[in-house]
Amino acid sequence: MVIIRVEHVDKSFAGRHGNISIMQDISFDVADSDFVALVGPSGCGKSTMLRLIQGLDRPTSGKVEFRDKPVTSVVTGMAMVFQSFALCPWLTVSQNVAFGIEALGWAPDRIKAQVDRYVSVTGLDGFQEAYPRELSGGMRQRVGLARALAVEPSVLLMDEPFSALDPLTAESLREEILQLWRDPSLPPDAVILVSHNIEEAIQLADRIIVLSRRPAHVLADVHVDLPRPRDRKSSAFYDLTDRVYSLITEGGGPTTAPPVTNGATASQ
Amino acid sequence: MAEGGTIRPDDPGSAAAGRGAPKTTPLPGAARAAALYIAIPVLATAFAVATVGLSFGNFASYLPTAAVDVFYSFLRMSAAYALSLGFALAYGYYAATHHTGERVMIPILDILQSIPILGFFPIALVVFASLTPGSWPGVNLASIFLIFTSMAWNMVFGIYESLKTLPEELREAAATFRLRGVLLFRRVLFPATINRLVYNSVLSWTAGWFFLVEAEIFSTNSNQVLPGIGSYLSFSASAHNTDAFLAGILVLVMVIAILDFVVWRPMGKWAERFRYDTSPSGDVELIATSDTPSRLGRVTAYVRRGVRTARTRITTPLVQVAAIATRPVVSSERRRSALSYIGMGTILVVGWLMLIAITVAVFDVFSAPILPGIRVQIEHLPLAMGASTLRVVAAYAICLAISLPLAIFLSRSERAARYGMPTVEVIASFPATALFPVIIFGLIPFISPEGAAVLMLMTGMLWYLFFNVLSGIRGLPPDLDEAGRSFGLKGWKRFTQIVLPGVFPALITGSITAFGGGWNTLIVAEYLSVNPHQTLNLFGIGQAIDIGYALPNHTGYPLMVAALLTLIATVVAINELIWKPLYRKAVEKYRYD
Repeated sequence: MVIIRVEHVDKSFAGRHGNISIMQDISFDVADSDFVALVGPSGCGKSTMLRLIQGLDRPTSGKVEFRDKPVTSVVTGMAMVFQSFALCPWLTVSQNVAFGIEALGWAPDRIKAQVDRYVSVTGLDGFQEAYPRELSGGMRQRVGLARALAVEPSVLLMDEPFSALDPLTAESLREEILQLWRDPSLPPDAVILVSHNIEEAIQLADRIIVLSRRPAHVLADVHVDLPRPRDRKSSAFYDLTDRVYSLITEGGGPTTAPPVTNGATASQ
Repeated sequence: MAEGGTIRPDDPGSAAAGRGAPKTTPLPGAARAAALYIAIPVLATAFAVATVGLSFGNFASYLPTAAVDVFYSFLRMSAAYALSLGFALAYGYYAATHHTGERVMIPILDILQSIPILGFFPIALVVFASLTPGSWPGVNLASIFLIFTSMAWNMVFGIYESLKTLPEELREAAATFRLRGVLLFRRVLFPATINRLVYNSVLSWTAGWFFLVEAEIFSTNSNQVLPGIGSYLSFSASAHNTDAFLAGILVLVMVIAILDFVVWRPMGKWAERFRYDTSPSGDVELIATSDTPSRLGRVTAYVRRGVRTARTRITTPLVQVAAIATRPVVSSERRRSALSYIGMGTILVVGWLMLIAITVAVFDVFSAPILPGIRVQIEHLPLAMGASTLRVVAAYAICLAISLPLAIFLSRSERAARYGMPTVEVIASFPATALFPVIIFGLIPFISPEGAAVLMLMTGMLWYLFFNVLSGIRGLPPDLDEAGRSFGLKGWKRFTQIVLPGVFPALITGSITAFGGGWNTLIVAEYLSVNPHQTLNLFGIGQAIDIGYALPNHTGYPLMVAALLTLIATVVAINELIWKPLYRKAVEKYRYD
């Protein structure tokens, strides 16, 4: 079942020398139980795409649908994990996790139970009363994750969630996210991950949507069929990485016209 | 004289300047001037100690009266602060969240905070007195209003800017989780402002004390005397009552110190958690490395922030203008700057002539019922403005000659910073206006009234300049200095090639705020008359405002209003035509990033 449908989305910003086109004619679907990664060169509008899906921003033309309803403003049912964590430094871990549920207008007991659940799911037990500044980057991102999961979104949006972490921390957090994803009792029906790290995308996602340089269009929609747990050193992993990498480097520079393979192209 | 002795028993910090100045100053002339100003308080302190020792019982007997008066002053301060807080929250919040409101509200505030508030005090007195029955509530409301104007703008900017600088992702987080209304305010917006609000409150209280004391001193010119520490000090100094005066100073210092320890320090510590940057920042490192009480770190951090604030404050409303003005890039940078200076000068002269013309025209229309004597005085206003400007410029020059060497010294030597900074900080938080009576009634036998006026203006200007220059020097990238040293830049050359260009933007910001302080101090620095025998009376714009207010039967009100308008127009013109372009230039040319 399709949860999110992106249809012919264009986005441009007013710049100093007229409009700057960020993305042109982007279309793809995200179905139930999809773990989708958006990859592409930096500045190609991956994060903007995520914000269009969430309803934080509106496309210049085209449309985004969430469960068959057009997204016109911020939608409930989706939650975002931010690159810079975006936690409130004046709130404790518990209060930060409660941030989103409070806005849903739940009763205090229910909020507390929910907070407790997601604090322990994300491995934050014992840190409930700590402030973000007292935590390491990895722990802070766990708070960001707990805050997003606590509203029980059907789509979890992750905007470069590991970019601000050191490689070792990022690696262990990736493993844990995969474990949470495999747990059927936990919320998101689908995940959309924005990343500029191809290996990370292949390790985590089942589908990789490769975007071109600005103005972005979809270069390919690659299905990742590697068995889990995925071994980064396997030759299949390496071949796939190589393929995505060459798609990005060869495909659609700013001077090239949008290729004919516009739109979603299943290529495996 | 005993009064001479009372001037500054609490001024040992200037001695630090004396130690520092000869060591590093590249301006021996300025150092001599600084040394001269330091020698007086040092001698005077010795005098004061001797006097107090001889008459302790007498001194103690004045403490209760002084305490009651300080209490009155404190009540006014609290009322004004409560008003400022409410106003700042409403205004700052609205301006930061409503685009259309912002476009009008921020430029208005920009003008409001650049005009000399104190000039409005006489008018506020007249207005509030006419609004309320009897003189007592009117006078008090006027003084609370005055203190409010010295506190509020700074707090509004604090709230406005902390809301505007809220990180984009946090804003988005609040949006994705659909926080709205009260919840958004309680969880995100209000906490985001707390840190700046506390810092700016400390500054507002310092400014508030300064203006409160000045307003109370001013009120002794008339029969509507404000009971409070300012009038108390003014009366005791004019009566040459050293014990009473010292008792007043002591109680005031104690109240300020207690407030600092009991309220502001704990508040500042608590407010730390509302700072947005969760990673250890430069400010924290500064505290750690300099090994000084955390207050120093906070003050320097504050000052740095203040500079940033002033920078955005100055540049923001001008961004569009600047963008338009700089768009057509002329090939020769130098020719452009020369042209712009000529253009600026022309605009300045034309503006000034127009100002005089408008003043004269308006005056001619409205002056028919005005007494001939006052007409003559109004015609002299441009000249009076010139005289006052000269005084402010003189005081500025001396302040610069003190600030620059002192700041260089305090930023170079670790030990000097450790002991010197807290001292300077304590002195800076004491309202220098409390010493005005003693400057006027105690020092004038020894220095000319002109000298006394300049001295008073200096107290209103020095700290703005000093703290800004200091933050500028501290902000110099160390590797730049090291690069300079590795190429053998030393002494005067190092000063002109590295230090001066580096501190230039901060120097301009400091100059703007220092001049603001100077204009505000004029009101008391040029005229004070507690009784007919002892009068400070210097030809100038401040005197015109004061005399206009003090003349019997409201005959002087036209003079007062005309003088005030002249002052405001001049100050706004100077800010817009000199300081802001200069600041833009400084930032364009000397910025490190």
